[in-house]
Amino acid sequence: MYKYITRRVLQFIPMLFLVTIVVYGLAQAAPGDPLSGEILDPDIPAEVLEERREALGLNDPIPVQYWNWLSSVAVGDFGQSMHYTGRSVADLVTSRIMNTLYLSLFALGVTILVAIPIGIYSSKKPYSLLDYSATTFAFLGLATPNFFAALIAIYFFSFQLGWFPSQGTVSSVGLTGFEYFIDKIRHLILPGFTLGLASTAIYMRYLRTEMLEVMGSDFIRTARAKGLGPSSVLYKHTLRNALIPIITLLGFEFGTLLSGAVITEAVFNYPGLGTLFLNSIQNRDYPVIMAINLILAVTILVGNLLADIFYAIVDPRIRYD
Amino acid sequence: MKKSTWLISVLLLSSSMALAACGDNNAEGPDNDETDGQEAINEQNNNESNEDGNNNGNDNENNEPAGEAQSGGTITAGMYSAPDHQFNPLFYTTAYDANILDLTFESLVKQDENLEFIPSLAHDWEFNDEFTELTYYLEEDVTWHDGEPFTADDVVFTYTSIADPDYVSAGGVRTNYASTLLGYEDYVAGDADTLEGVEAIDDHTVQFTFTDPNIKALADTSFYIVAEHILGDIPVGEMAEHSSAYTADEIIGTGPFNLTDYQEGEQYILDSYEDYWQGAPYLDSVVWQVVDEAIMTGMLQNDELHLLNRPGGVPAADADDVEAMENVEILEMQDLGYQYMAFKHHHGPNDSLLDKDTWVPNEKVQDVELRRAIAHAINREGFVDGLMYGAGQVMHATFPEASWAYNEDAPIKYDYDVDRANEILDEAGYEWDGDFRTNPEGGEFTLNLDYPTGNEIRERVAPIIQENLQEVGIQVNLNSPREASAHFDRVEENDTEMDMFLAGWSLASGDPDPSGYFLSTAAYNYPRYDDETFDQLMLEAITAPDAFDQDYREEKYNEWSEYFSEQLPVIPLYSQNVIYAHNANLHGITFKTHQILDDAHLWWLEQ
Repeated sequence: MYKYITRRVLQFIPMLFLVTIVVYGLAQAAPGDPLSGEILDPDIPAEVLEERREALGLNDPIPVQYWNWLSSVAVGDFGQSMHYTGRSVADLVTSRIMNTLYLSLFALGVTILVAIPIGIYSSKKPYSLLDYSATTFAFLGLATPNFFAALIAIYFFSFQLGWFPSQGTVSSVGLTGFEYFIDKIRHLILPGFTLGLASTAIYMRYLRTEMLEVMGSDFIRTARAKGLGPSSVLYKHTLRNALIPIITLLGFEFGTLLSGAVITEAVFNYPGLGTLFLNSIQNRDYPVIMAINLILAVTILVGNLLADIFYAIVDPRIRYD
Repeated sequence: MKKSTWLISVLLLSSSMALAACGDNNAEGPDNDETDGQEAINEQNNNESNEDGNNNGNDNENNEPAGEAQSGGTITAGMYSAPDHQFNPLFYTTAYDANILDLTFESLVKQDENLEFIPSLAHDWEFNDEFTELTYYLEEDVTWHDGEPFTADDVVFTYTSIADPDYVSAGGVRTNYASTLLGYEDYVAGDADTLEGVEAIDDHTVQFTFTDPNIKALADTSFYIVAEHILGDIPVGEMAEHSSAYTADEIIGTGPFNLTDYQEGEQYILDSYEDYWQGAPYLDSVVWQVVDEAIMTGMLQNDELHLLNRPGGVPAADADDVEAMENVEILEMQDLGYQYMAFKHHHGPNDSLLDKDTWVPNEKVQDVELRRAIAHAINREGFVDGLMYGAGQVMHATFPEASWAYNEDAPIKYDYDVDRANEILDEAGYEWDGDFRTNPEGGEFTLNLDYPTGNEIRERVAPIIQENLQEVGIQVNLNSPREASAHFDRVEENDTEMDMFLAGWSLASGDPDPSGYFLSTAAYNYPRYDDETFDQLMLEAITAPDAFDQDYREEKYNEWSEYFSEQLPVIPLYSQNVIYAHNANLHGITFKTHQILDDAHLWWLEQ
């Protein structure tokens, strides 16, 4: 097992290397550069922009720029943003990454806590009223564009009822301790549910189908025949076997935990990595694009590795040597 | 609340969200508002809007406050995007950062409603006879937020920092504020220890000396002043990343408010500075809140937002809804920026963009009659009425109405007139051949039009222009829109198939001189237009000694505007209005042409 994990982790290195080359190449191939979007006000002399290009190294050949980037990243320096004057990439990313992590984990929690119980119940009593309404609800969630759901949520729960705040991650600067924690949670609720409920449908339906399929298989009949109680059959035998595809999905989901949710972040003004990533692409802010990309690549690889490891835990027949 | 009502509201909200999705980008376009000069984005002032019938009945707001000013209270002001967090004025670039800097920092002189310079940190100034020396007499009881006195040394420090050899490589872009000073070339090259052009005569007198007589001297010396005792020990090359650029306590200005705390990307808390030299502000604090455009209206209605500033303001589509709110008042002003359709007059090799000898005329657009016909064929009034709900103005020349250089009668006005356009084209020899016209030689005639994304109205204008021109038989090949940075990259290059392109400028209020983007040798002369008379008129308007007489400059700009409208190197399309909104209980804001934040100590909240 350990050998397997070590081998997988070692495989990451060439993969990450390839990813950075491709992304760097693509980002540079797009027309424009970090300063071409700054033709702003004619009072700023064009020579100044040219001088800044020179200072940022944008006039160097792309392989040279890539090498400079790679050699500083290799020693842990992600460099300076080319768009946000005077800000380091590390500073920009760390200012956003925790927000994104909170939001994604909260949303994932909502998804799992809603989807798994309903999925199990639906498979226990297929074609029941609850099964039908859960399905309807799930597809409604899937079919509603995120921003629309977000606006409905804000309209009701924030403007009309006043239960939850509509913008940001805290209501006032300077809260501490428990108060701060509660405030953070309150700010997470609307965006978290908006994001989380949207993807419940997928998990719910997967689990239901898989459970129904497993329930029809021979070993479940055997388990029932040898006199196991219904809950033992359901949770110990059926659920465990039905979880495999869910784990695959979660592995992917883990990879997107940090990618942020651009639209939800925007509507709730929840400063996360998603909007930063989008802006950095628009601004051709190469160091930021690359840093976020690297983070995403690592989480996706780790997510898939974790999924593989969990297979073995859930299903003892799967072994890695 | 009835079911149908909320559904409609939600639908409205969501449609405004769809707009907001584009609106977000608005700020990103080069020609848009994100990165302005100190006063790059400006609005039509109150009086002017009254004259042109744009007022919304709120124009008395700043003149007749309801009763006596009250002290106390906190207001929340909204903006659509977060600042970049560069709160060192020397290095800021976006209008969002400026929203905070405008309340915390001040300059020697500022501008009034008519864009005339008025005293701020300097109570008086005088020029020498040659207009090469400008002496400022500073207010004496001004203190920085930490209590230290403000002196002439701070002014010298500010301008010397901008001229520093490391300034640009550290990320600074405001060299235009120092480059006219005597000794700038030597200092920036590292050949001099001091910048000759700015000198403290005594604690409260500072003298600027310019290399040449400088008709823009006041504008050039109107940059924010920073504190030497705070920044003096930091090398200029490290200033932008130093903690003093983003740590709330270390951002020390002379303004009425002081940034005391913030939550990045969400809210910025500015508390009043009790020892402010013009008297303690009425308000206890101003909180800038970053809000999404889609829920801005709801927040205004719930009193959660007291003021909505540029860039952006209230989207024209929502203006009626916001105006209908009893607790909110709106105010509409012209923007100094404008949108245009340029002709690409010359093509040429990429590596010598500015070397006129390498330019090759783009024969398709050399005919001035064609350009005039096109101006008649485009329904610009339709853009303003249809796409902007009337919140905008058709431009005939490039000076905004607020500017003293504006003269309504100077330029020729090309009204939307299809018959006239057809007539001109017929006379000029563009013969019909099937659905379209040929060029005067009888060959196929197609114009390529490029446009950028990022400004929703401009994106919608492009296909209408194509349609308008097809109506008079001009075939337009409309290229699919590109992202702003890609579009401007192409515009900058000469070697393209581009015949026409859409773009916009947001202009600084400091001085109306257009030579920075119209002179044939200017880097920003994107149309690559080259005309001797055109250049000469622009230069005459800024050449000493005649140009020190403003009447003379006005006359020159009238001539230039007229010549511009005759030749039409670009077709100015429209300038969109900014719609401000503020809570009815918030009084004392002076809505000036270019700026609403520089009298914030007078704002007060009715409680």
